[in-house]
Amino acid sequence: MPVPSMADPPLPVHKPTGAPSQKSMTKAERRELQEKQRAAKQAAKQAQPQGGKPAGQPGKGQQQGAPAAPKLKPPQTPQKKVFVVEASGSRQHASGSRDAAGANAADAPSVPPGLRIFSHFGQPKVVGHVVKGDIHPEIVRLGLLFSEFKISGANARCIATLSAFKKVIQDYTTPPQNTLSRHLMTHLSPQISHLVAARPMSVTMGNAIRELKLAISNIDIDMVEQEAKNTLCQKIDNYIRDRIILAGAVIEQLAGTKIKDGDTVLTFGRSSVVEKMLLEERRKGKNVSVIIVDSKPLLEGKHLLKSLTSGENPIPCTYALLPALPTLLTEVSTVFLGAHSLFSNGAVYSRAGTAMVAMMAKVHNVPVVVCCETYKFSEGVMVDGFSKNELVPIPVIQRTAGEYNPPTNQNLETLNPLYDLTPPTYITAVVTEVGLIPPSSISSIPLALGKTSL
Amino acid sequence: MTTTFDIYDAYIDILQNDQFSPPLAAIKALTKLIQNSDAGTMFELVSALQKGAKDLSSRSSNPISLNAGCELFNAFVTLFPHDSHNFENLKQRLIDYGETYATEALTYREKIAELAFGFIKDGSVILTHSYSRVVMQTLLRAHKQKRISVFVTEARPRGLGIKTAETLTAAGVPCKVILDSAVAYVMDKVDFVLVGSEAVVESGGLVNAVGSNQIAIIARAANKPFYALAESYKFHRLFPLSQYDLPSHNTKFLSFSRPSLPEGPASIKSSNDESIIPSDTSTLSPKPDLDPPRITQEQISQSNPDVDYTRFVLYSSTATYSIILIFRTKSPRPDLISLVFSDVGSLTPEGVSQYLVGMFSG
Repeated sequence: MPVPSMADPPLPVHKPTGAPSQKSMTKAERRELQEKQRAAKQAAKQAQPQGGKPAGQPGKGQQQGAPAAPKLKPPQTPQKKVFVVEASGSRQHASGSRDAAGANAADAPSVPPGLRIFSHFGQPKVVGHVVKGDIHPEIVRLGLLFSEFKISGANARCIATLSAFKKVIQDYTTPPQNTLSRHLMTHLSPQISHLVAARPMSVTMGNAIRELKLAISNIDIDMVEQEAKNTLCQKIDNYIRDRIILAGAVIEQLAGTKIKDGDTVLTFGRSSVVEKMLLEERRKGKNVSVIIVDSKPLLEGKHLLKSLTSGENPIPCTYALLPALPTLLTEVSTVFLGAHSLFSNGAVYSRAGTAMVAMMAKVHNVPVVVCCETYKFSEGVMVDGFSKNELVPIPVIQRTAGEYNPPTNQNLETLNPLYDLTPPTYITAVVTEVGLIPPSSISSIPLALGKTSL
Repeated sequence: MTTTFDIYDAYIDILQNDQFSPPLAAIKALTKLIQNSDAGTMFELVSALQKGAKDLSSRSSNPISLNAGCELFNAFVTLFPHDSHNFENLKQRLIDYGETYATEALTYREKIAELAFGFIKDGSVILTHSYSRVVMQTLLRAHKQKRISVFVTEARPRGLGIKTAETLTAAGVPCKVILDSAVAYVMDKVDFVLVGSEAVVESGGLVNAVGSNQIAIIARAANKPFYALAESYKFHRLFPLSQYDLPSHNTKFLSFSRPSLPEGPASIKSSNDESIIPSDTSTLSPKPDLDPPRITQEQISQSNPDVDYTRFVLYSSTATYSIILIFRTKSPRPDLISLVFSDVGSLTPEGVSQYLVGMFSG
């Protein structure tokens, strides 16, 4: 299938096929695209002599697989991008798309393939994105960590963000003729957008930032600047301590009471709370065995497996991938899951694959327990995992899942959503720091806790 | 006096009065504990109460509903405003409130009976399970103005259904005792199911005499409404994930005893490798001549649970709506009215869990 794309020499003339979608882009995006195209043209010129080589042995290069693939990849990936553009316009001009692809050859590694139907998920961000404006070095560093998925959990990202903001706040000076309570937020906004550009914001970060904004606006105008900054940092510390660390500890304790001696617990991927809870129960002397179910693309369960089986009190573990789930479920007493976020209809937004585990457990009558701090609650309602999601960038997949080659066939797209949504009917109980609650009662919690607690 | 006071004996003593259900008896026993305690500080008193509650639940065979009462009372004592001039005074006030609550709580059943009355149509055929004071009161209340007839399950192993039937028949209510195994047979003749409860738990589920769960499942399958009646002191902060997650569950239940008969796998095994086991078979072979093992009713009841857990999912659906009738009264503490004790009327199971969650997390 990919052969024609190889055979056709690049004809940069048809490039404007990309134009219609440009209208729908924002200014920044348009400029970015222009810059890329310029760079692409230049690179295409350089690539020309090279381009002859793969064209000479097209079929062979495809079938060879892994070794040849990296070379073939550059011209392939951009085709997809153009393909999206085309899909929205006229689709018959297949050759046009191919030509445009050739023109864009150079920005290949940086622009991952677009998607025909799930284009609204947003393009996975380019690793090592550009810094625009006055961004604090700490935030730049954090942005890189985020975009490379070096920090990826909901809790970890929230703590990292808040800690970085503490530094930003300490390094901030209020400009003359301004007050901290009014100006600090305008200083923080670009920092936040930088982080969002690195990777879409998590619900936890959103909640924490909302609380921070509130705290900033509540700062007394007459307060000495340094004192105000210290107050804010203190409040951030309290938030991390109360809503994340201590909440986690309480959840571990509560969830631990649901594990009995000799139980087999099943978990999916890796959740920091579930991990600590299991280790703690083991330390208390309970005989637990754990089945870790894992799935591509991130294979985070491997880290969990490592931390559960190493250490002083190793837990007997079974590691399996998602397809093995039905076979294993017959031996399981309880399923424990972590969560990225919880919506007010009780739906759990968590790592892709969670919904399948929960549904399968429900069919087997195994109780499903979700561990989730109340600061992860979102006020919104979500009914499926398609309306909002995030894609895993290909470099991250390549790093975590080992050998991974993006498809070289232009009619084939891969979709790697990061999250999915588990409907509340598949969840037996949610463990929060205020107790075990049925998912139907989620909406009564934020009110009871008072959201103005940063 | 303090040394001789035994909370469990006091509790058993109170239970002799047929009107008091375990949670109320527990509240009364804890009040007695305060009376007999020589605690000089609030901390001492609270820890004495907690110890008393633990004592009660460890010595009782089925501690679930009792725990609900202890929990309620201890939460009340902990939240009680310490504005008295001296501690003795405070203790006296606590005792007074405890006593008032226990007597007032006895009127709840009448209120529930009034609330439930509206749900019972003239000529209803009702299925009930085992014996429940609040269900009895409701049925007798309904009998005064409407024609009702009642099927009651035998409710083995304790056979409390017979008590229900006798009382109802004496009051002139047409009543039939059915076997626990005949619930599905009778279900199509029934208009709705009405049961009491040991406790209402945080999931919105119900803990009640064993057999309630299967009645709920059958009612659900037959699209019949399943109503539960519960006094507010039966709200319990407990979240069972399954039947075996209840505090009353015992590993003794459902465990298999090792049969001593030589037939079956053992003899097959011995034929497979005779070289090792000939002596074994010779000792085993005389046994079949012995009497076949007998299983007594006591053995059966010992290895079976008293209560089971009914998930609310079973009895809440669009086809068969279901409502838990609860009545809460005004608090002895005016500032806690909206939080702890308020008139909550008829609740759906989701409503129960929302209410409980809100109550304890607020």
